[in-house]
Amino acid sequence: MRAALQLGIMLPLHYAEPQNFSLGERVLLIVCVLASAAIFYIRIRSIVQNIFFARRDADFHLRNLPRRIQRFVWEVLLQAKVIRERPLPGIAHAFVFWGFIAFALVSANHFAAAFGFGFLSPASGIGKFYFGLAAVFAALVFISISGLFLRRFVLRPRWLGEHVSVESGIIALLIALLMATHIGGFFFPAAAPTLRLLWWMHSLAILVFLPIIPRTKHLHLLLSPFAVFFARDGFSRIPPLDGEEDFGLIAVKDLTQLAALQAYSCVECGRCTEHCPANATSKLLNPKEIILGLRASLNESGIFSDAPLIGAHNSQQAMFECTTCGACEYQCPVGVEHLPLIIGMRRGAVNTGEWQDEHGSRLFLALERGGNALGLPAADRDVFIARESLPIFDGSQEYCLWLGCMGAYDPRGREIISAFARVMQYLGTSFGVMQKERCTGDPVRRLGNDLVFETLATQNMAAMQQAQVKKIVSICPHCVRTIAKDWREYGVVPEIEHHSEFMARHADALPSTQSQERTVFHDPCYLGRYQNIYEEPRETIRRNADLVEAPRSHERSFCCGAGGGHAFLGEETGERVSHVRAKELIATGATTIAAACPFCNTMFRDALSAISPVPPQLVDIAQIAAAALPVQKQ
Amino acid sequence: MKIIVAIKQVPERDAPLRIAADGRWIEDSAVGYTINDPDAYALEEALQLKEKHGGEVIALTLGPERAAAALRDALAKGADRAIHVLEENIAVLDSLGIASQLAAAVRTESPDLILTGLQSDDLGAGQTGVVLAELLGIPSATIVMQVEVTDVGLRVKRELEDGWFQHIEMPLPALLTIQSGINKLRYATLMGIKKAKTKDLKVMEAAPLNTSAAVSLERLHPPEKLKRTQMISGTAVEAATKLAEILKNEVHAI
Repeated sequence: MRAALQLGIMLPLHYAEPQNFSLGERVLLIVCVLASAAIFYIRIRSIVQNIFFARRDADFHLRNLPRRIQRFVWEVLLQAKVIRERPLPGIAHAFVFWGFIAFALVSANHFAAAFGFGFLSPASGIGKFYFGLAAVFAALVFISISGLFLRRFVLRPRWLGEHVSVESGIIALLIALLMATHIGGFFFPAAAPTLRLLWWMHSLAILVFLPIIPRTKHLHLLLSPFAVFFARDGFSRIPPLDGEEDFGLIAVKDLTQLAALQAYSCVECGRCTEHCPANATSKLLNPKEIILGLRASLNESGIFSDAPLIGAHNSQQAMFECTTCGACEYQCPVGVEHLPLIIGMRRGAVNTGEWQDEHGSRLFLALERGGNALGLPAADRDVFIARESLPIFDGSQEYCLWLGCMGAYDPRGREIISAFARVMQYLGTSFGVMQKERCTGDPVRRLGNDLVFETLATQNMAAMQQAQVKKIVSICPHCVRTIAKDWREYGVVPEIEHHSEFMARHADALPSTQSQERTVFHDPCYLGRYQNIYEEPRETIRRNADLVEAPRSHERSFCCGAGGGHAFLGEETGERVSHVRAKELIATGATTIAAACPFCNTMFRDALSAISPVPPQLVDIAQIAAAALPVQKQ
Repeated sequence: MKIIVAIKQVPERDAPLRIAADGRWIEDSAVGYTINDPDAYALEEALQLKEKHGGEVIALTLGPERAAAALRDALAKGADRAIHVLEENIAVLDSLGIASQLAAAVRTESPDLILTGLQSDDLGAGQTGVVLAELLGIPSATIVMQVEVTDVGLRVKRELEDGWFQHIEMPLPALLTIQSGINKLRYATLMGIKKAKTKDLKVMEAAPLNTSAAVSLERLHPPEKLKRTQMISGTAVEAATKLAEILKNEVHAI
């Protein structure tokens, strides 16, 4: 192989192509090309129709072109995401991709030359250069595809699926054959019969390759660049319901153009499943299979069909096991947005009352009737506010301190609020809390209950408008995300930030303890992947402790198990997500676990006491900052 | 089976209650309203009976215009149609007055079964259901925990005191007052709300009553907070004995 690699560089060995194609050869070639194109067309037609005739995406805008182009260059042309998340196979894949691009011109010339229309003469200067370059790529592609072949058929990582994909093997062999036959062109003179044979093998390999593309994962060659380019703006962007008859994704005909495009773009690499906390804890949910299930539904029924999406290929149970941690969507290299699809199918099941779950119903009823997810009387919140002497927001203060259900009702959440209030007071920042708050609607938004979500969002927004709230700060990443992004569907939303951002901005004005307490930070999904905030919470920890990292941190952080409404749903099947994560955090040897989300906090509180007799201390970053403050006079 | 569910709109659980200037009712402009809790269970029971045995569920309420919201909620949860007996000043009516108005509406429908909550969360008289049954001349059962439809009528389970239950059989038509918790409430859905908009909501003017209220609300008082602390001294055994005695004989908690 090393010899092959050197070939391209070792000019003047140069490429030759057969000359003087006979009429018979030309006719045969035309027949083969037409046959290949015809089969390709037959096999891709319904796919293209299913995408084009799908419902339009209600909220789709082609704005932010610079960002789209940047994403396209980064993720498609540079293959940066593929490489970053799985370096070795990523590089191999990148070489195959770049090789394909380099070969576009070579292949076009290849067929043109048979009819005397060759535009890239191997003898010309540019031809020498280009065929040389292509040969380097051919060698790299050959090595890469061999490596990928070994990985898929010998190493067999679990997330590639249980059954071995035969067509992947065929495709790999075809690619290897294409490269070998091209390299062969350097070793024989133009008139050699062997060269002619190689030429024909190369041609046939391309013509066999083409019709395989549409009905296999290799369709991503054609579609994923579009899927990446057209992906929605923003992470886990849930589209608004479109009109009076839209209740979410119920039947095949409810799938939108983006959904269909993404379902067909899936390359079945299994990154989504590899990083899925539900799948890692033996639950039914397998994000890759969800996307493939949608594709199967589209193929079987067609885009106009009333066939239900949940049934033959996807199960309701799996759909509701999702914690909406977003690891799948974050990891996907081909632009599939899992969350709008999973939440879309939840919407379909909840907005029609199909989903019957004891805990789910209890949560919905609590929010319908009481306005807080914990189902406690609102008077409890008033008692807490009075006890802590929290000022009520009256329009004169700079910040509205949003308590959230956890901050207002949960004992630990209250401790976080109380710590953060002390930090704000120390800094002399004026703030007040809302007289009356309802849940932001996060759990119902993620569970797909649009009715309750809209009610909660609009009630809160009206109250904020009346109180003239301009800036909000919250201890809960779920509240921040829901207010900042999801409420926008119903109007203008005040500026909101997470307390980690607030504290990082004021870090220089806050005392620092310089303690050497080994502290591990758990990145909350809704802070990290959802809002791209990683360094701000670490800033507070670094100033007051010795920060250590968990094996899975930052973008790869592993969920605590609370998201997607699961903090309020019943017992999980399989192992508990929170236990897996808590064990991982304990294993870092840290004596303190720092969280930045009251939901993570409550999940770990239960998990730690269940799995360890002497668990590490569990704190919020606000408590770390507050502990460094001078002792208050009582 | 044609079922009428009589529901009442009451202040929300967490509504800030303030006594009105005349001292006879609360300031009702500041509070939010919702379906009376036991009535929500009555509605759910009616919907489940309909799902099992077929028929029709009609939601019925007596109250001011705002009470229509309770009917729309009932329609959204699955009631087929609704009747609103419009009465702006519901506070002047006693249980007999309310039941008489409801009876007039029920008679136009001649249902097989009437369900209602066992009492209202705001006044809690627990009279409307039974008085309504009397006015209609049909049998009734109160504090119902379970309903079964039999060949000849109903078999119901009533809650008595001290963990005792009574099982009785009764013919139809009949009226049952339903205990909270008899079933699991369903959540409201977007589809339900949209469908509700197309359902029939009939508004009837309240008929003039020929009798004046026998019972009237003279004055409302906020409950007095009685928090008494009593220190019990002595050794642990003595204190525990004394505590048990107080809990048993004075507080009647055990």
